[in-house]
Amino acid sequence: MEAFRGAGDLRAIGVILMKDLRQELRSRTVLTATVFFAAVTLVIMGFAVGGQPDVLRVVAPGVLWVALAFAGVITASQSWVNELEDGALEQLTMYPVPRATLYLGKVLANWIYLAALAILLVPVTVVLYDVQIGGRWPLLFLVLLLGTLAFSLVGTFYAALTVTLRARESLLPLLMFPIIIPALLAAVGASTELMYFADTVKAFDWLQLLVAFVLAYGVLCTAVFHFLVEE
Amino acid sequence: MNAPAVGLHDAVKSFGREAVLDGVNLNIAEGRFIVLRGGNGTGKTTLLRVLGTRLRLSSGTGSVFGFDLIRQPGEIRRRVIQVSVAGGSYPMLTAAENLGFAARLYGVTVDAGAVLERVGLAQVGGKLVRTFSSGMKKRLALARLLLPGARMWLLDEPYTTLDEDGRELVDALLNEARQRGLTVIMATHGDARPGAPQPDAVLQLDGGALSVLQRRES
Repeated sequence: MEAFRGAGDLRAIGVILMKDLRQELRSRTVLTATVFFAAVTLVIMGFAVGGQPDVLRVVAPGVLWVALAFAGVITASQSWVNELEDGALEQLTMYPVPRATLYLGKVLANWIYLAALAILLVPVTVVLYDVQIGGRWPLLFLVLLLGTLAFSLVGTFYAALTVTLRARESLLPLLMFPIIIPALLAAVGASTELMYFADTVKAFDWLQLLVAFVLAYGVLCTAVFHFLVEE
Repeated sequence: MNAPAVGLHDAVKSFGREAVLDGVNLNIAEGRFIVLRGGNGTGKTTLLRVLGTRLRLSSGTGSVFGFDLIRQPGEIRRRVIQVSVAGGSYPMLTAAENLGFAARLYGVTVDAGAVLERVGLAQVGGKLVRTFSSGMKKRLALARLLLPGARMWLLDEPYTTLDEDGRELVDALLNEARQRGLTVIMATHGDARPGAPQPDAVLQLDGGALSVLQRRES
């Protein structure tokens, strides 16, 4: 593993992040695909469950995270697909920065997209599914931030692994979802406690699992990323 | 005594069972201009990628400026600028933004306007690269060579997709590299150009093996 050299590499992470955000602001590829997809998921699932308020409320956190999970796959995949055009991926790996900075820059960009989408979807969920959150907004916000970070860490890693493969669209969720299940369960569990049972203590238990997942996979994926881009 | 710019010893690079580089030995002193020749699929790009640390040797050893290819890739990439066939620019960024992105990752500051003027893109520096022709994209890739700090250029078919004016730009860059004492390794199919400097050696890759086609008398 190439060692981090401090401020210069932190700056490189920022350069990658800003490049990805600027590209997305201009192309709106991820925005268009994920917002539309997530909104359709929320509406269709709400319609399928029917008009019983109590059933709607109990399924709301699960539906929210299903929408975010699939949006996470699109986001992670697109962030590396953008590098394929004009040989940018090869050039990107030729810059004199540790390969992990490329990964972390993209993780941050994907996290920003997903977290923004999550924050956008919660009010929609509240309205469509008749959810009462009360004063538990700050904790729910934390769950959304940690859950989307977990998705970005795992999704960005496996998307880099599959980006040059012909079957990347089918392989990425196959590889990613078994790994992300603990984080997904923790995020759904914490969200259910906050959005349905109004139990912040139990939500905090789930939150601890989410934090452990983020720390473990953050370190692991960063440490082994360079193996993915070396042939 | 300074370490050679390039040292490869029994270098093998395989993809699956196929050895694209098969026991290559190579020593290049700093400041030399080397031309790599060979048909399609003979390993020219692979050799450049190995030297640029994009690809890892399957066996054998190698170094660039004394830094080990496997253990010190970061030190090598700080001293080498590579221009690939595809160019490596981002269509949704402007030419100036693409150049600025590269400069920031190399940790250098650059007058983007002056560099783009040098490669004939001054008028389109603020335009998105997706509107560029392939020749303009190649000029933008060549602009990266003008970033300060490099001691070696690895050029993969730098003349392709360029018009005559663009090919003269490559000739001029190669002459500048010679004056600055840079090491240049260039893979090309094209014939020697009268405006380009005479290479110190022309090497041929065939069947994974490297041979000397021509060596300049010093």
